[in-house]
Amino acid sequence: MIHVVFYFQVHQPLRLRHFSVLDVGSNRGIFDENLNRAVIRKVGDKCYLPANRLMKELIERYEGRFKIAYSITGVVIEQFKNYYPEVLESFKDLVRTGCVELLGETYYHSLAFGHDNEEFVEQVRMHRKLMYDEFGYTPLVFRNTELIYQDRLADIVSDEGFKVILAEGTEKILDWRSPLYAYTTYNRKLLMLLKYYTLSDDIAFRFSDRSWPGFPLTADKFADWIGNLGLVEKGTRNLFVNLFMDYETFGEHQWKETGIFDFMRHLPEKIFSKGNIAFAWPSDALDIVNYQPESISFPYPVSWADTERDLSAWLDNDLQYNAIETLYDLLREIKQKGRHDLLDCARKLSTSDHFYYMCTKYFQDGDVHKYFSPYQSPEHAYMFYMNALADLSEQLG
Amino acid sequence: MRVLMITWEFPPYIAGGLGMACYGLVKALASIGVEVDLILPTVEEVYFKIRRPEDADILPIEFIGERKGYFTVQTRENLIERLRVIGVLERPETYIPHSLNIDELVEVIFSQEILTEKRLVEAIKRYLGGEESLFKRASELALRAMRMSKLIEFDLVHVHDWLTYPAGLAVKSSRKKKLVAHIHATEFDRAGGPGDDRIHKIEYIGLEYADRVIAVSNYTARMIIDRYRIDPSKIRVVHNAYSVSPYAGGEKRRLFKDPLVLFLGRVTLQKGPDYFLEVAGRVISRYPNVRFVMAGSGDMFSRMLRSAAARRLKDRLLFSGFLNRDEVERILKATDIFVMPSVSEPFGIVPLEAMAFGAVTIISKQSGVSEVVKNAFKVDFWDIDKTVDIIVDLLSHPEKRREIAEAGRHEVLEIGWNEAALKLNEVYRELV
Repeated sequence: MIHVVFYFQVHQPLRLRHFSVLDVGSNRGIFDENLNRAVIRKVGDKCYLPANRLMKELIERYEGRFKIAYSITGVVIEQFKNYYPEVLESFKDLVRTGCVELLGETYYHSLAFGHDNEEFVEQVRMHRKLMYDEFGYTPLVFRNTELIYQDRLADIVSDEGFKVILAEGTEKILDWRSPLYAYTTYNRKLLMLLKYYTLSDDIAFRFSDRSWPGFPLTADKFADWIGNLGLVEKGTRNLFVNLFMDYETFGEHQWKETGIFDFMRHLPEKIFSKGNIAFAWPSDALDIVNYQPESISFPYPVSWADTERDLSAWLDNDLQYNAIETLYDLLREIKQKGRHDLLDCARKLSTSDHFYYMCTKYFQDGDVHKYFSPYQSPEHAYMFYMNALADLSEQLG
Repeated sequence: MRVLMITWEFPPYIAGGLGMACYGLVKALASIGVEVDLILPTVEEVYFKIRRPEDADILPIEFIGERKGYFTVQTRENLIERLRVIGVLERPETYIPHSLNIDELVEVIFSQEILTEKRLVEAIKRYLGGEESLFKRASELALRAMRMSKLIEFDLVHVHDWLTYPAGLAVKSSRKKKLVAHIHATEFDRAGGPGDDRIHKIEYIGLEYADRVIAVSNYTARMIIDRYRIDPSKIRVVHNAYSVSPYAGGEKRRLFKDPLVLFLGRVTLQKGPDYFLEVAGRVISRYPNVRFVMAGSGDMFSRMLRSAAARRLKDRLLFSGFLNRDEVERILKATDIFVMPSVSEPFGIVPLEAMAFGAVTIISKQSGVSEVVKNAFKVDFWDIDKTVDIIVDLLSHPEKRREIAEAGRHEVLEIGWNEAALKLNEVYRELV
């Protein structure tokens, strides 16, 4: 059997105001409430609400056979509560169907792993509590921010009780191996599913690209491609086609007019018509794997971002390094001094997007960064970010 | 005495010190009875009639020709609205990037035998009519000033820096009036070495054919004597001053608990931001409880930001980007130590303001302002060690800092534009 594993990332950062040096100590707040509200409302209308309606429709139509997974960050849920409660309700509604799996991650969508592992664990636990409080759900599957993974992460995550972890299926690590099989982490404590990035990105990035040979992508065509993947397996081992992407793919990165919703609406029926393909949650892999998975080592960090699939989108230039080092110093100091009133604000500054805006890589990835950034340049993003940190550190005293 | 004055920037729309200096001078001239008709690079053909000191703030607008008397009510309150009607650029460019390249422009625009009017017009059109908006606009201003000067009565013409020199020469030659060329900054200062050859030529010709040259400092007078071989006997030094802000008195309004060390100016080679950065790095390693702020924007902004990050100065060195007038005063009010490490600063008004706001100042010896103040530290811009020692010493001794700041504040309160206006008036009287 081939199992299609859909996981969608739901996240929006708290973007900073154009925070001037002269605003330090002004108590004006460092986040751009108007912008953040506008983004949540816009993406809510274009993506979250219609996409949730569609998923609900598919779940009901196929009576439990259509399965999907979400990873929803703490910072986006807070914003739903403040700016668009209906969106949170609609996610709860989806989870109540029993056909949705929720994944664990850091509450703040941060890069804490590797910078402050204690902080990382705290943020993971905060997120787990949030999932329980909001959805009555306790995740078994973990995915780190931006799918960042390396061996050391497996030790921490397995200690936290997770059973499965997701990562990028890059050739840098896989070499001759196929991402269609389940693996285990280097310490053999977690089952590992690897993103099938070509097919994932066919939907997420190339769907509306008219210069792409695969254009136009239809549900028929896509189901065929998935079906053909079964040819690699001569025996009876179960395969996993792991399609991981931003949820905003539906209606926001790919506009409604591209036909992305119709594509998704028809995909399950085409998949089911093949006979040997089914949908699965990431946690299903624990039961489905009918072979002894090979363990695989990620000696260095791998992510799902940019062409490099490494950390360079967030940690490459001096702006990013100086910013993140200053942040984690400040976080530690806040904890030492027991200033819990400042902790949440500092943690919101740990969201990876802040560092993404400071990226100065050029070529095609630069364009993607620019598309997502609310600032006129990486330098401006850095300037406002550092001023905001200074504001926090002044409050800390 | 009535002066036709042509300048490139004037408050409320200014890019830098030139506008502030012109404002101070015009206002003070009006207060001693010198009348000024002011021409700015406006879209409409207008001039500003300054008869009383308050007119420098109201800027009464006079149209040339049919629309004379167009504005019936002219107040400070409707100034912005009126300026919009006549078209004034919010941020006039005062320098151009040197990478731009136009063929042999200004092959001596005004060649030796000055110049029949017809040839003048041709020369201006031909040599200044390049693609670059700045040169084009300088030439438009020259043609316009020549036209307008025929409809205005005045005793002499006074121009400020190279962008208005062609206009001054055009008026001098067509109306046979004496020309005063004011030099606030040379291309050598702006470029930190040889700059744009076309600008050098315009500067040279303007200064050479002026009847009197006003230099803002001895430093600048020496510069134009050494570099352009201008006849010293026609140069007069008139130091700049500053206008005391009503906001300058009283207690400091701190932004940070730790002392603030400020750089304020265009972030460009001339102003020495890289020296400031080096100083900041070394001070922070010796005395971490301090904040540095680099305020301003410019072509080196991005490089400075990256360099500060590369040194891992954390949030001890912050950036503000461009600040408007109100913001400038707010940050000066919060500043304890002001550093002006300019590589070459013809005058430098901001240290005077910083002193009035109660900051201790460390100023480059390569500056005009160092000729006029005593209670400031004067250091070669390149002497980073010395600057660092001074700052660390000041940070370690707050009492000493306060004493010097207080002495400095008293000193600069005595400085005003009136003295400059009196000197200028003498120059005018020599000529008329």
